[in-house]
Amino acid sequence: MHLLIYMLFFATLSWLVLTVQNQRRLLAVTLAGVMVATLVGAPQPAQAQLGLLQAIQAVLNVINGVIQTALTSINSVRSAMNNLQQLVVWPQQLINQARAQVTQMIGQYRNLMSNIFRMKLNSATLPNPQALEAVMRDHQVGNFPALTAMFTNNYGAIPVSTAANPGDRVMSDMDDALALDNLKTLKAGDQATDIELQSADAIENSSGQAAPGSAPFLTATAITSAIHAQALTQKLLAAELRQEAARIAHRNTLRKENATNTTAVRGVLVNLLQHQ
Amino acid sequence: MKRLTALLKATATWFSGHKLRASILAVVLLFTAPWPARAQIISPCCAMLVAGLSSIQSALTKVVGGGLNQILGVDKAMQQFQQAVVWPQNLINQARGLVGVLQGNFNQIQNLMKIPVNSATLPVSQRLEQVLLSRNPNQIVQTSSAYTALYGPVPAPTAASPQVLNMVDMTDAASLAAMKRAIEIDALADLELQAANQLNQSIQTAAPGSAPIIEAQADAWLIRANAYTQSATADLMRLRAIDLANASADVKMGATNTTSLRQALANLMQHQ
Repeated sequence: MHLLIYMLFFATLSWLVLTVQNQRRLLAVTLAGVMVATLVGAPQPAQAQLGLLQAIQAVLNVINGVIQTALTSINSVRSAMNNLQQLVVWPQQLINQARAQVTQMIGQYRNLMSNIFRMKLNSATLPNPQALEAVMRDHQVGNFPALTAMFTNNYGAIPVSTAANPGDRVMSDMDDALALDNLKTLKAGDQATDIELQSADAIENSSGQAAPGSAPFLTATAITSAIHAQALTQKLLAAELRQEAARIAHRNTLRKENATNTTAVRGVLVNLLQHQ
Repeated sequence: MKRLTALLKATATWFSGHKLRASILAVVLLFTAPWPARAQIISPCCAMLVAGLSSIQSALTKVVGGGLNQILGVDKAMQQFQQAVVWPQNLINQARGLVGVLQGNFNQIQNLMKIPVNSATLPVSQRLEQVLLSRNPNQIVQTSSAYTALYGPVPAPTAASPQVLNMVDMTDAASLAAMKRAIEIDALADLELQAANQLNQSIQTAAPGSAPIIEAQADAWLIRANAYTQSATADLMRLRAIDLANASADVKMGATNTTSLRQALANLMQHQ
């Protein structure tokens, strides 16, 4: 575009120079042409080199100023977080110390407590009580008929219907039944206790190798084990409640019979005195 | 060719006739014609631009790249620490595996608690025993009738003194309540075992971040279970308190009866 304008201008100037009549006009046309050519051919204003330098310096200032400051700050924060995690929240030394403590306490207590817990408590001296005691304390649930047989050997069977009044027979049967129920429940409870101890050992073993991130699993399952233990305790308490209730009910029945018998005796005595 | 030669001759003739005007046009053309731009390679402006860009590149490499590399180094260290020390996948899997193993133990305990222990042999006692061991709260309403069938009702008002009647009724009430509580506690313990199994199964599929939530719920269940245990213990204590009170009442009534008997005998001797 610029070149086209220049060609048009030069053609016009040439025509004027060639067609002008005298020297003075030639000079005037020449000067006017030069002036116009200067205007037409003048270079476009270029940006100053000083502006480019300033722009580059500005970019460098941003990099060395804002960006460097921001990156340094981020690095400081991340380093602080790293230190916090490694030195305060999860210090490797204390993690190892906790694991070592678990191992040490296993060595210190487990066998000792297990030996105490497994000490033989059997104390009977005669054959029948010894047999009953052995089967009562064997932690097995597959020999309930043997338990019943040993119990009968020691405490006798329910009297036949002609040997006792019906009330005494059913009360004896109920007493024996609840005693046997509880002995069976205790055998099951003993076995469940053994399993609970196995669970506790397994959880403790794992806690000796656990990481902070795996410990919540062990804690949660330990709590569910504790719920099981509570349920087992409740089962035993329920059995104890049944047994105690039956014992008191039995004595209360005797009280009822005593009251009835006393009233009957009093009636007999009054009648006797009246006849005298 | 001839025409070109003639044109050149005419032009040369014209230039020789108009030397001044031709010279003016030549000079104007020489000084005002647009010339091609000089190559940039030799421009000082370009050299400055190159130097500036080089400085920017250097600054980006050292300041930005260096800073980012430091942050990356810290982040890598944090990642490695968390993966190796805090959340090691193998130990997490190992813990999950243990939870699965313990589930087997829990199932064994649950099965042990379901083993039938019924032992009564006579129909009346069998009926009461069946109700007591039912673990079914809906059967609590049958406890009173089964109990009365076995242990008898409270004597009629004419059959005993009011004090004895009160003792008998209170003792039956405490005994019955304890039996009912035993059925309740059995049923609650079954539900606790069921809930504990559900919780344990949830733990097996939990993440390290979600396990504490299940743990919190399990803690709540444990508190609840403790409360039920305390409630059963309270009933046991009530039962024993009533038993002790009965023993005390027996002593008191024995003393009163002895005094009355002594008085009656004295009166009898006086009448004779």
